Amino acid sequence: MGRDKGRLMSGRIAVLDPVGQPSGIFGRRLNSDSPMSAIHDPTNQPRDTAENLSSLKMAPRLDTLDGKTVYLVSIQFAGSREFLEELQLWFSKNRPKVKTVVREKKLGWATDEPELWQEIKENGDAVVFGVGG
Amino acid sequence: MENDYGIPSAPVVSARFADYMERDCQSHGVPLRYTFPPYPVGWVSREILKGYVQGNDPVTGIPITEEIINALTQPLTDAEKNFKARKRPERERLLEPDTEEDLRRLFIENGWTDGLPIILPTEERVAEMLTGTDHAPDEQVGMMSVTTNEERLKYTVEKCAVIAVMAGCRPEHFPVILALAASGRPSMPSSTTSFASMMVVNGPIRNEIGMNSGLGALSPINYANSVIGRAWTLMSINFGDVRPGATFMATTGTTINYNNMCCAENEENSVWAPFHVRKGFKKEQSVVSLFRGWNVRMLGMAPTKTTREVAMQVKGMGRSYTYLIDPLVAKNLKDHEGFDDLAKLSEWVADEMQMPLRRPEAINFIVVGGEVNPFWVATDFSYLQTVPIDPWIPSAGIKKDARPIRMPVAVTCKDGSCGLRL
Repeated sequence: MGRDKGRLMSGRIAVLDPVGQPSGIFGRRLNSDSPMSAIHDPTNQPRDTAENLSSLKMAPRLDTLDGKTVYLVSIQFAGSREFLEELQLWFSKNRPKVKTVVREKKLGWATDEPELWQEIKENGDAVVFGVGG
Repeated sequence: MENDYGIPSAPVVSARFADYMERDCQSHGVPLRYTFPPYPVGWVSREILKGYVQGNDPVTGIPITEEIINALTQPLTDAEKNFKARKRPERERLLEPDTEEDLRRLFIENGWTDGLPIILPTEERVAEMLTGTDHAPDEQVGMMSVTTNEERLKYTVEKCAVIAVMAGCRPEHFPVILALAASGRPSMPSSTTSFASMMVVNGPIRNEIGMNSGLGALSPINYANSVIGRAWTLMSINFGDVRPGATFMATTGTTINYNNMCCAENEENSVWAPFHVRKGFKKEQSVVSLFRGWNVRMLGMAPTKTTREVAMQVKGMGRSYTYLIDPLVAKNLKDHEGFDDLAKLSEWVADEMQMPLRRPEAINFIVVGGEVNPFWVATDFSYLQTVPIDPWIPSAGIKKDARPIRMPVAVTCKDGSCGLRL
C-alpha cells in the first residue's frame, strides 16, 4: 500500500476517529401500526427535532390516588402482566379507594399506541408501565 | 404520557437496568421516576412476583408500592422541572498522533473494534478508500444507534471510509459499505435477546468484487464476504455507539455479529429469479438486502419423502423464515415438486407451518451454495429492506486494484492438476 504519509517523524502516526458525531437525535416515536422490524427503519426517522426531544416535560403529580383511576399497562415482556395483576391485587386489598385497570399493549414494548394513550387520558388519572428489562 | 398527555406515570423496570435507566434519563433530559423490582420478572411463579410487589426496591430500599405511589403523587421538584439533557461534545476528525502499537491498543481498549486486528485508518489509507466512490467525503450518509431510544450518531462518507479501512476493505468494496451505512441499520441492535443480522448481495457487483455465492459462501474463505460483513459490525459499533452494558445488552450475544452471514446470491445457478428481482429491482441493479432475527439451523440431514418437507423441520421457530438453499434444493423443488413460482412455495410453507399470523410474504428463499449437497440453512430472520449499491459506485466504474486481492476459489479438478489423477 506504499509508504504511509500519515507516519510522523517521531514514529507516531495520525489516524482518523472512527466514532460517529453527536446528532442530538434520540429515539423516534413509532407509528401505531409499526411492526417491530421497523424500529430502525430509516424511512421512519425521528419525527421530532433534537430540541423537542430534549425538552420533554414531566406531568404535574396528583394530590392523592384515592378516588382516582390508575392504569397498569403491561408492555408485553414476560411476567409483566402477572406482575401488574399482583400489583392490582395489592391495591384492591390495601388501597381500595384507588381504581386500577390492567391493560396490555397490543404491538410491543417500543410502539406508540395512541388509542390506548387516549383511553388513559379520557378515563384515567395516572399510569404504571411495566415491567421493563 | 408525561409530555404529550400530561398524565403522571410510574415506569417499572427490573433492577438489572437501574443504571441503564439513569443514563436514559440523562440522555433524554426527562427524570422519570422509576421503580426497580428484583429480577428476573419473566418465567417466575406468581408467588415470587407477589413477593416482589410486597417487597422493597433493591436499589433504593423503599417498598415497591410506596415508591410507585410516591412517583405519582409527590410534587415535582425544581430539579425535575428544569432537568436538561446532557449533550456530548463534537469529536475531532483526527485522534492524537501516537505510535502504531499504542493506537492499536487505543482502538481495542476504547471498544472501537470487534477485538480482531484492524488496519489503522491513516489519512492516506482513508483517502485511498475514498477513491471507491464519487461522493464527497463530507456528505452525510445517515444516522445510527444500536438502541431504540439513545442518540443516533451521524456519519459522513469519510467516516464510512474509516470503517472500511479498519475492516480491511479495498476501494472496490466501498460502494457496498456505503449502501449498508445508508440503511441506517445496525447489524447488532441492542436487545437482551441477542439479535443476529444477515446481508445478501445481488446483482453484477457480486462477481466484480469477487464475492462468494457458491461453495462455502457463509464460511471464512472469501476476502470480500469477510471484510464487508465485518465492516457492517464495525460501523454498528462506532456509529451505533455500542457500549457493553450501557447501550448493548445482548445477554449471551451471538457470533453471527462478527460477520453477519455476509454472502451473495448464487444467481447463476438458481432456477428462480434473483431475490432482488422478486423485490422489484432489475437484475442488472446491484443491491444489498438486510435481514434480522435470532436463530440459524442447518437442515437436510433428517430423511423426508419430499424436499419441501425439510422446510417444516423448523416449525414454530419464529414468525418469519428466511431460508438459504443450495441450488440443488432449488432445482429439486422446481423440477420435481412443481414449485416453478417461489410464491407458491411460500404459500405452501405458510399453510404447513400453521403460523398464528399467516404471512407468506414473510417467508423468503435465497439460493446460496456450491451444489455439493442439497442442504438448507433455515433462519427465523425477517427481511428488512434492500438498499441500492449503484448510487455509490463511481461513474467510471468500480475502483479496482491493478491486481485485485482474491482468495482461492472452489475448483473442480478436470485435468489432473489436483494430483489425485495421473
